[in-house]
Amino acid sequence: MEQFVSAFFQLFELTHLLFLFGGTLLGLIVGILPGLGGTSGLALVLPFVYSLEPSYALAMMIGVLAPTTTSDTFPAVLMGIPGTAGSQATVMDGFPLSKKGMAARALSAAFCSSLMGGVFGALILSISIYYAIPIIMAFGFGEQFLLIILALLMVGALTGENFIKGVTACILGLIIGSIGSAPITGDLRFTFGTLYLVEGVPIVIVGLGLFALPEIVGLLDSKGAIAKALKNEEGWFRGIKDVFKNWFLVLRCSSIGCIVGALPGLGGTVVDWIAYSHLKQTSKDTSNIGKGDVRGVIAPESANNAKEGGALIPTLLFGIPGSGNKVLLLGGFILIGIEPGLEMVTTHLDLTYLMIWSLAIANILGAGLCIGFASHISKLTLVRYYILAPVMIVLIFFATFNINRDWYDFIGLLGFGLIGITFKAFGWSRPALLIGFFLSTKVELLSYQTQAVYGLTFLTRPVSIILIVLCFGTILLLLRQKFKQSYTSSALKNKKNQIYYVLILLVLPILMISLISSLDYRASLFPISLCVVSILLLTIIFFVKIIDYNNHHLLKYSFVKFVNMNIYEQNSGFNNQFFYYLSFIGYLIMNYIVGFPIASVIFINAFIIFHDKRDYKISIIISFVLLVILWFLSYMLTLQFPNGLIGLLIDMPWWLGGEFN
Amino acid sequence: MRKFLILFVVSFFSLTSVVSAEVDFSGKTITWVVPFKEGGGTSRFSRFIEPFLTKYLPGNPTIKIMHIPGGGAIKGSNYFQKNAKPDGTYIFGCSTSVIVNVATGNPLVKYNLSSYKPVLLLPQNTHWFTRSDLIDEAHDISKLQKRKLVLYGLKTPASADLFHIWVFDKIGIKGAKPIPGLSSSGAWQAFQRGEIHLNSQGAAKYIKNVKPQIEKGKILDIMTLGLVDANGNISRNPLAPNAPTFAEMYEKVNSKKLSGDDLEAFYSIAAAWSQASKSMLLPENTPDDIVKVYRDAAKKMVNDPDFKAKATKVLGPYPLTVGEEAGAIIKKAAIFSENTKKQLNKVLKKHKFTYRVK
Repeated sequence: MEQFVSAFFQLFELTHLLFLFGGTLLGLIVGILPGLGGTSGLALVLPFVYSLEPSYALAMMIGVLAPTTTSDTFPAVLMGIPGTAGSQATVMDGFPLSKKGMAARALSAAFCSSLMGGVFGALILSISIYYAIPIIMAFGFGEQFLLIILALLMVGALTGENFIKGVTACILGLIIGSIGSAPITGDLRFTFGTLYLVEGVPIVIVGLGLFALPEIVGLLDSKGAIAKALKNEEGWFRGIKDVFKNWFLVLRCSSIGCIVGALPGLGGTVVDWIAYSHLKQTSKDTSNIGKGDVRGVIAPESANNAKEGGALIPTLLFGIPGSGNKVLLLGGFILIGIEPGLEMVTTHLDLTYLMIWSLAIANILGAGLCIGFASHISKLTLVRYYILAPVMIVLIFFATFNINRDWYDFIGLLGFGLIGITFKAFGWSRPALLIGFFLSTKVELLSYQTQAVYGLTFLTRPVSIILIVLCFGTILLLLRQKFKQSYTSSALKNKKNQIYYVLILLVLPILMISLISSLDYRASLFPISLCVVSILLLTIIFFVKIIDYNNHHLLKYSFVKFVNMNIYEQNSGFNNQFFYYLSFIGYLIMNYIVGFPIASVIFINAFIIFHDKRDYKISIIISFVLLVILWFLSYMLTLQFPNGLIGLLIDMPWWLGGEFN
Repeated sequence: MRKFLILFVVSFFSLTSVVSAEVDFSGKTITWVVPFKEGGGTSRFSRFIEPFLTKYLPGNPTIKIMHIPGGGAIKGSNYFQKNAKPDGTYIFGCSTSVIVNVATGNPLVKYNLSSYKPVLLLPQNTHWFTRSDLIDEAHDISKLQKRKLVLYGLKTPASADLFHIWVFDKIGIKGAKPIPGLSSSGAWQAFQRGEIHLNSQGAAKYIKNVKPQIEKGKILDIMTLGLVDANGNISRNPLAPNAPTFAEMYEKVNSKKLSGDDLEAFYSIAAAWSQASKSMLLPENTPDDIVKVYRDAAKKMVNDPDFKAKATKVLGPYPLTVGEEAGAIIKKAAIFSENTKKQLNKVLKKHKFTYRVK
């Protein structure tokens, strides 16, 4: 208790607060920039904390980490692009709200629930420091395995309009995630002899490709700005009122966030979806969810900030990172000479409390700043999208290149971009694909580890039984709920294309099986069984689609009726989107020839002037302001610009893409 | 005219030789390529060394650390091979995994590690231990040898963890079965949950996590890898002076001294795993005078009182290796003899791994 209080006073020394404030500002900024997130923010801070005193460094690192999940709401709500992986579910309702012109309401509700969630997470962290050890020790391989299966099933079932399509997307994600070296034997699967595919495509690239690019082309396709006007005054208080009206939901989702966050390796991408599906299951009126229900913002946002507190439990106690940014946080701890472990609750207890206080204050600070600046930032929605879009693309390319400084990442980005665009156009769940992809290696390893340690006996362990009951209960509940919904068959023009798309999807598992079946069974068993299941599911989807297309009498049967529910996506517009997509390829080629800075200036100007010649002044100003910002970032962080072929002929200065020396 | 030209050429060469005689990095930026993520061991090693190196290199150059993770350290290493200029402005941060990629003949490796010029090596050591309910007393593995199933964590057979398979085979733990895909921290956690029986850790984690549990009587030491010096003498690890080295355990189990092919394999494994755990190298073809300048700076650095004070805490208790001696160790670690490869492949086959050392 004494340390609890003394840590509080220590934090309120001026220098501490300054570092915390600096970290928070930085965290806010990286959260707003799509594609960057806590991980990049921490990577940015790490080189500087080395020389700082441990407590300052801690304040700064927590400062960076805490508000990213608050400020990432800006791009999620305003542009439909998750700023970090944790705000994907926020997009589901936040973005429709913003389209309806209620961005301010969505934002204030999000910030307010983020704040509540964050503070709740810090509170739980400070309590659980004493009790967490036995809980985490109870989660062996088998329990972790079941938990992931539970998460996958829920995500697959909930994020898609159609249950079978959602689960199939999940399995396709697992298959794509299994590309690379097999974790057990080291055999190379589906890599075609390239080094790039050995480790698989980085998760950030997959996220950017699956979410950012499709949203951008989708918005470009819809033309004009996202929202016509903002009703600022009204929206603010409404959002805050919304949160207080739904206080119980905030509490429940914060608890979910804490619990899921505390489970090693799961946190990050899953928690917002779990909260979102919890909302879907528990609310009486689900008609508006996914179409702009403010609760759809409150639930994931409160969970996703509470998760940070929960995720610090295994990070601090066992040094087990739950996500990418925790890996970096641990790296930072080690840099400043703090080893996680039991000492965090014994000799270093003061530092632990300092972190908890920092977490709470950074959350309050972050949410406060967000609300304070929101009215300015939310004006972004009034900007015509063809002006914003090329800027976003340039930022995405910059972020993409700086993950690994690898040109292949652009191919990964555009490849997953195409998957994302088609998935969106034909009604397949992108979140399910992403989460399947992310958890693939873990599922495969855990299945082997569980088998090796327990055989089948793991199913009889008490925690396992609880998880299994939970899992089946959820699915039954879901199916019942889905079954109640009425199905409306609509006359769609692009039904044929959607049928062809199923056939295209079938290519992946079939090709995978034929290419890897010769490998050792420990390398091929996991992907091949997934492939078989996915072929089965895709075939079912294919035939049901055909039945629906021909209006066959089989439609009367309840099973077919159930599978057929929402099997076709209503929206279309794929052709225009594809055209925009091609312009990104053009930009990539320009990058390759003249290097990033010059290519970006050309791309932004060409893109904007192509849409409206009168905007040439704006385009010139924007492109150069952006360049100056990127120069600054690149200079400060020794990030490099993609260097084009021209760099081989002429010795380019660094600010045009040359080497730093 | 011709005379003039000759004069010009001669004066040019004499001028350049004067310049190269005095290596000076003032105003230059040196790029230190680390083929791992920020925050990892090699990154930590580089960051710790960096300010001291700046201090002792002539001209006090700025040193910039560039992390290029991916492909099991191959991406960054290949990048270094392709882009590093042999003029002292590029340094390579190397670790066991970088070496093992070469030693095991990974086909994606395009870096010529054995001809790089080592400046500095930081040794590490491995401690093996088990739960106290599995053996009667510390260092006595007879119960483990009789056990049907002895589970331990193994990241992948294509990593340095491959050596565990060989080590357990040589000390007669027949029931040893690897649980694949476990990182070092994952294995430690599973060990604590009681899901695996054998575990190993490096010095830092050993002091932090394992020692307190040994004091509580929950964990018992088995052995350490042992420290190998320049003459091939194997000595006990000062952190666990009572624990036998692998060589002692081998002798006890097999009733013969570690020798022949097994000793040769052990030297290679120890070089890669222990002696050259972390290292700092210059690209191949770096001129000798530049290498010398670096090695001199490293020698001065090691004797810096400030360095000495901090090094034990940050880098561990083992003395750093500087200079010519380091080159021999890297060569031994990176080039496995056919006999050693055969030995490793034999144990891989025995444990039904399809992976082979090439």
